[in-house]
Amino acid sequence: MYEELKSKTGLDHKELFSQVKHSDTESEKIAAPRYSYWKSVFRVFFQNKVNIVILSLLLFVVALAYIYPAVTEYDPYANLLDSGAKHLSPGDAMEHFGVGLKWILGSGASGEPTFEAVWNGAKISISLAFICAAINMVIGVLLGAVWGFSKKVDMVMMEVYNIIGNVPMILIISVLSMLFSPSFWTMVLSLTIVGWLSIAYFIRTQVLIIRDREYNLASRCLGTSTIKIALKNILPFMTSVIVTLLATELPSYISYEVFLAYIGMGMSEMSLGRMIYAAEAAMVTPGWELEFWGPVAVVSIITIVLYVVGQNLGDASDPRTHM
Amino acid sequence: MAKYIVQRIIKGILSAVCVVILIMILVYSLMDRGNIFAGDSNYTKTQSNARTTYEQSRYQAFGYVDYVNYSDYITILVKRGELDEENRSAAALIGQTPEKDTEIAAEYIQKFTEEYESQGYTVVRLDADKKTNGRVKDGGQAALFATRDKPLYTRVVSYFTGMFFIDNIHYVDEGTDIGERGLTFTFYDPLYGGDKFSPAIIGNGTKHKYLFYFDGKFPYIHQNFLTLNLGESYTVNRGVDVFETMTASQGTYVLSTVSYPTGHVEQSADDLHTATYAEGSLEQSEIYAARFTDDYTNTITHKGSMSKLGYSFVIGIISTIIAYILGLPIGLLMARFKNGILDKIGTVYIVFIIAVPSLAYIFLFKAIGGSVFKLPTLFNMDSSSKLMYVLPIISLALPSVANLMKWMRRYMIDQMNSDYVKFARSGGLSETEIFTKHIWKNAAIPIVHGIPGSILFAMTGAIITERVYLVPGAGNLLTQAINKYDNGVIIGVTLFYALLTVLSIILGDILIASVDPRISFTSKGR
Repeated sequence: MYEELKSKTGLDHKELFSQVKHSDTESEKIAAPRYSYWKSVFRVFFQNKVNIVILSLLLFVVALAYIYPAVTEYDPYANLLDSGAKHLSPGDAMEHFGVGLKWILGSGASGEPTFEAVWNGAKISISLAFICAAINMVIGVLLGAVWGFSKKVDMVMMEVYNIIGNVPMILIISVLSMLFSPSFWTMVLSLTIVGWLSIAYFIRTQVLIIRDREYNLASRCLGTSTIKIALKNILPFMTSVIVTLLATELPSYISYEVFLAYIGMGMSEMSLGRMIYAAEAAMVTPGWELEFWGPVAVVSIITIVLYVVGQNLGDASDPRTHM
Repeated sequence: MAKYIVQRIIKGILSAVCVVILIMILVYSLMDRGNIFAGDSNYTKTQSNARTTYEQSRYQAFGYVDYVNYSDYITILVKRGELDEENRSAAALIGQTPEKDTEIAAEYIQKFTEEYESQGYTVVRLDADKKTNGRVKDGGQAALFATRDKPLYTRVVSYFTGMFFIDNIHYVDEGTDIGERGLTFTFYDPLYGGDKFSPAIIGNGTKHKYLFYFDGKFPYIHQNFLTLNLGESYTVNRGVDVFETMTASQGTYVLSTVSYPTGHVEQSADDLHTATYAEGSLEQSEIYAARFTDDYTNTITHKGSMSKLGYSFVIGIISTIIAYILGLPIGLLMARFKNGILDKIGTVYIVFIIAVPSLAYIFLFKAIGGSVFKLPTLFNMDSSSKLMYVLPIISLALPSVANLMKWMRRYMIDQMNSDYVKFARSGGLSETEIFTKHIWKNAAIPIVHGIPGSILFAMTGAIITERVYLVPGAGNLLTQAINKYDNGVIIGVTLFYALLTVLSIILGDILIASVDPRISFTSKGR
């Protein structure tokens, strides 16, 4: 029929209609541009050129903290017996040991290169922050969701929160480091044993705010199960809140570790906090300042970069910015 | 409203009690009690049986155990009249081994054992520790004592019942002869020579000699009928209550001419109004005998500087005020000119304060303040210079300013899209009017809630700031107590913090309810 028409009218196929088979499945499809949540998040995130710079700085710092100590043999007591190796300024250190990257911050109290000590400490501090944040966020978000949803749980948990929130953190830490040893894992335990509670409380408040919104009521009226409401209606709404929270949590563990070390309750590993604590006297000694300001600068860079990346990722993960 | 507040207070007190119970479990059950001997020179000096009894007496002092020594028991029996003076020394003599006990000693040892074992004590008898030549070692004398771990229940009950002490004329042991017990009221305080008009109540048989008096120190009227015991300190400030440790003045002694009850006049720092009873002190000390006529000899001394709480509060309250004065307007302006230059600088500052460890920026400001502005970087109690307050106040205000800026900006921006703002704008109000008259009032409500808390917690002091600038404040008390295993102080300070938290939340709620008529805690339909 088509060939017949074509020969009769002289028109090509584009100008002639042709019949299309009807398909039920095809008619259900919506012809809108495809929207992928995470793709949009990263599109918005990378649109801002500042984010690319800061993210690469973060990757650089983390890589330095993990790779540098792994490829160099760091022994803090290698120069212990060399009396001329202690508390050297960068210039003197390079004169004493020969030019090298590891002496650009001079040497410390036992003749160790401050630069290497800083990155070793950074590795410990960053690990602590990531492990604690992972544990606290998982427990806190899950329990916080339950806490916000169930009124019975809420009653009990509010009392628990009021009581435990009043127990001084430093007391818990000192009891735990006395029971075990003041090691890395004890520190993880003491920061997570009640640390999840404040996160759970925060999530609980967020859940409370959106739990009774109209769209959730409608969803419930249509017979959606609570679990599906939690996973499909509320969790996506919370993603940006959770990412923003993570952005404040991660650097806060590093800062808190510095604080604990400074009041003498830190762990036995030479983390950045311990270094700052040990070098406090060096701050006021002329020529030794780098031993103190080195770790302080590095810890500040790490926390700022983590915070800014997290905040901007949190902003980008809010669907309202995806327009 | 009143009923609601009473309910809240009761609930708050209950949770504070739970906090104390939790802390008691933590410090008494979980911490290793052997640690208390770590820096104890007496412990290393004693040996053998003496060391065991020393350990027990120390555990008792730190509140771990109930401990009764046999010789104390004999003294009690004599006082009770169950044992006469003649047999006293014979009964008190413990033999080197149980077989060597005299008949009378054996009888009383038997009685002691039965009495305390029935109360759940463990009675321990240590035989004399001898050298190879048969002579008793130093500290190796035979010992007998009863000991038991204090159960949590009695510990909690006795802590809370002992918290409020109401002074009464039966305080001094009834067996002690101190003359006629009673309270005397006088219009002319004898300490001022007896002719100046100054009402006072003086007690005999009470703990405090002066139960009510006037003097020239704030708050001018003083009472000692009701005193608060938050917990007795053992290592931080020996034998002194936590509350007093926090509130007693510090520094160098302030001498003034004091005429003692005996008529002795001397330059002294003693504050005779604070005299408390110390049994037998008059007989034991010639110094006291020359000055006092009774056993009320234990006085607090006048010192020149403020208390721990005082220093923390002065620094804390000024920095809080500065934080509100700076933080709120800046936050408001940041929201008003959103994405402007001020907003950008402010955001950078907020990020800096939140992200950088507090220790780092406090040291940074200390370094800048010390080298650029030539401000004193260390606190000195004896110096009259007010400049030394500057750096601690700035360091303490920095994070609060950032925090207030952050929240003020957030709340303002949240309010900016409200219907009432659109309505006001359509009514022709200028942006400045909308901001200062409408949005600001609504945005400030959540901020107002935090004001009582920030004022109350100004008292507790800041650990890092006080350490960095060597401020003799209350912030270090808890860490100090933990490091010295001073259980009484740990519990007292935590209870103090917990009560402050409860109080500041309740006050905050009352404050926002009075500021914002829409908020009501009594209506059911909330």
